Amino acid sequence: MAVLECKDLSKHYGNAPALNHVNLAVEPGRIVGLLGPNGSGKTTLIKLANGLLTPSEGEVLVCDMAPGKESHESVSYLPERTCIPTWMSVKQLLDFYGDFYRDFNRKAAEEMLAHLNIRLTQRIKQMSKGTREKVQLIMVMSRAAKLYLLDEPIGGVDPATRDYILSTIIGNYNPEAAVIISTHLIADVEKVLDEVIFINQGQVVLQSSVDEIREEKGMSVDALFREVFKC
Amino acid sequence: MLIKLLKHEFRATARIMGPLYLILLAVALGFNFSARLMDTSNVVLNVLAALVILAYVAAIIGVFIVSFILMLQRFYKNLLGDEGYIMFTLPASVHQHVWSKLIVSAVWFIATGAAVILSVFVAAFNVSFLADLASVFPELFRELNAYYAFNGTAFILEFLVLMLAACMSFSLQFYAALAVGHSFANHKMALSVLFFFVFQFVMQLISGTLLVMLDQGPLQSLLSGLNFHVSGMPAIHIAMLLMIAMTVIYGAVFYIVTTITLKKRLNLE
Amino acid sequence: MKWQFSSDAPIYSQLIAQIKVGIVTGAFPPGERLPSVRDLATEAGVNPNTMQRALTELERDGLVYSQRTTGRFVTEDQAMIASAKRSLAERHIQAFLEAMTHLGYDREEILTLLRQEETKGGEDDGSSGV
Repeated sequence: MAVLECKDLSKHYGNAPALNHVNLAVEPGRIVGLLGPNGSGKTTLIKLANGLLTPSEGEVLVCDMAPGKESHESVSYLPERTCIPTWMSVKQLLDFYGDFYRDFNRKAAEEMLAHLNIRLTQRIKQMSKGTREKVQLIMVMSRAAKLYLLDEPIGGVDPATRDYILSTIIGNYNPEAAVIISTHLIADVEKVLDEVIFINQGQVVLQSSVDEIREEKGMSVDALFREVFKC
Repeated sequence: MLIKLLKHEFRATARIMGPLYLILLAVALGFNFSARLMDTSNVVLNVLAALVILAYVAAIIGVFIVSFILMLQRFYKNLLGDEGYIMFTLPASVHQHVWSKLIVSAVWFIATGAAVILSVFVAAFNVSFLADLASVFPELFRELNAYYAFNGTAFILEFLVLMLAACMSFSLQFYAALAVGHSFANHKMALSVLFFFVFQFVMQLISGTLLVMLDQGPLQSLLSGLNFHVSGMPAIHIAMLLMIAMTVIYGAVFYIVTTITLKKRLNLE
Repeated sequence: MKWQFSSDAPIYSQLIAQIKVGIVTGAFPPGERLPSVRDLATEAGVNPNTMQRALTELERDGLVYSQRTTGRFVTEDQAMIASAKRSLAERHIQAFLEAMTHLGYDREEILTLLRQEETKGGEDDGSSGV
């Protein structure tokens, strides 16, 4: 059973199409890269799956449900920006996630925070941008969700943080779940992916496994991406 | 889930309102002291006392304004700003979100009213004042009962319910304007302000039309045909209840506008 | 252990090669228990499914074996490790010869060059020859 399924999914903003008749399915147990240049429709697709946007046509299903209250229980979402409330302390943030999500593993979160030397009394407000991003990722990855939707988790951070983020994702996701990572920094995520979906101008142009691409085309996904999206 | 939303909403707002009430009461206490010191001929003390009185007035206005702004800000920032990404992906429905904001705002409005009244007691406290007060209230009710021939408390109760309903409906009108304004791609805030006035205008138009219809319409002829007359206290009761009902309907319209917009046209930046 | 990946070959085959090197060089000693798939994947920065696939292939080759409850272990069969070492060496030689042929040397010239390198290089020639 697919964890995420798009059936003829379209979204227009006014007259401008952001997604154009997208069909795709993501199976559990896979880490999938949603790859495309800026403005290709990656964020729109992820927002639709989160119910933050409503489709113009077609439908998007998460665990066979339309996005809403019930589907949110199974989805762990990292937005493309940090948006954890800044007035909270780390402890209050843990309370927040623990209260709302039954699958939140507080102990795992506390261990990861301790590993980064982040104190529970520290306020989000006092943290640097990079630390906030890490804290938000820790919250998202401490859930045993069925689908992780990570929108640009490694955009705009330094290479060391990038490594930390990727290893946190690999080390903590629920193995029966699907992980979708949207990014345009392909070389960095390539090794952690099972599968890639290339998206351009609102359309899916390719869905394939990473090893298949390397085996059949004799090139990395990064090289293939550069070829497909050559300007 | 609503309970959890309420808990965290209180947590987010109490950290602002709590200290504010404490300041209000502290200033009221200062007022109490300075009122006693006013009589002395010491100029410095008099000026100081005048300043404290000014501060007290400012504090009263301040708590009202802050509880109003907090109502707006929690909806605007927590649901329509960046935090909305987290809030709208919680396993909670749009209805639960709107209710949690509305209930918490209403509680703070009531608490603000109560805190101000309490602060007046604190400010004016001395033994004779309390004694006066103790005699004034029964007197007031007795007067009310004597004059209107009904229980004064019922009227006060109706009035309080009306005030509460008005506060909530008013909040909902702001919520609706913010929700609709923020469903557009650009000029979100300007459009929110515009929609607030559009809603205001439309509601006034409708209620105006209703009044005219009531005056000349079939209802009026029906009532006069029935020779149904009420006067005195029952008339006031009916008027109060009608006003409460109207206010609730007014709020319900904006509740529907808000929830439908958040469900169908949510458009976070 | 240091993990490095080139961009042309499938990642699982690169993982197999690097784990083999680890076993041959003693980074994963014979009979030793291997870290869990997830830990190995996290360390190498690769997808756990890919790591799983690499370990399954190594298991099929016999270099590692799994015990149902306790995890995966490196083989204790020294002959098997030696043969893995040999096949790794052959691969390096093959690649070296290919590169030299590409540069236009024939076998005789290559051997001469190697011998010259040996007399010049002193002690560490053992490793530079492979």
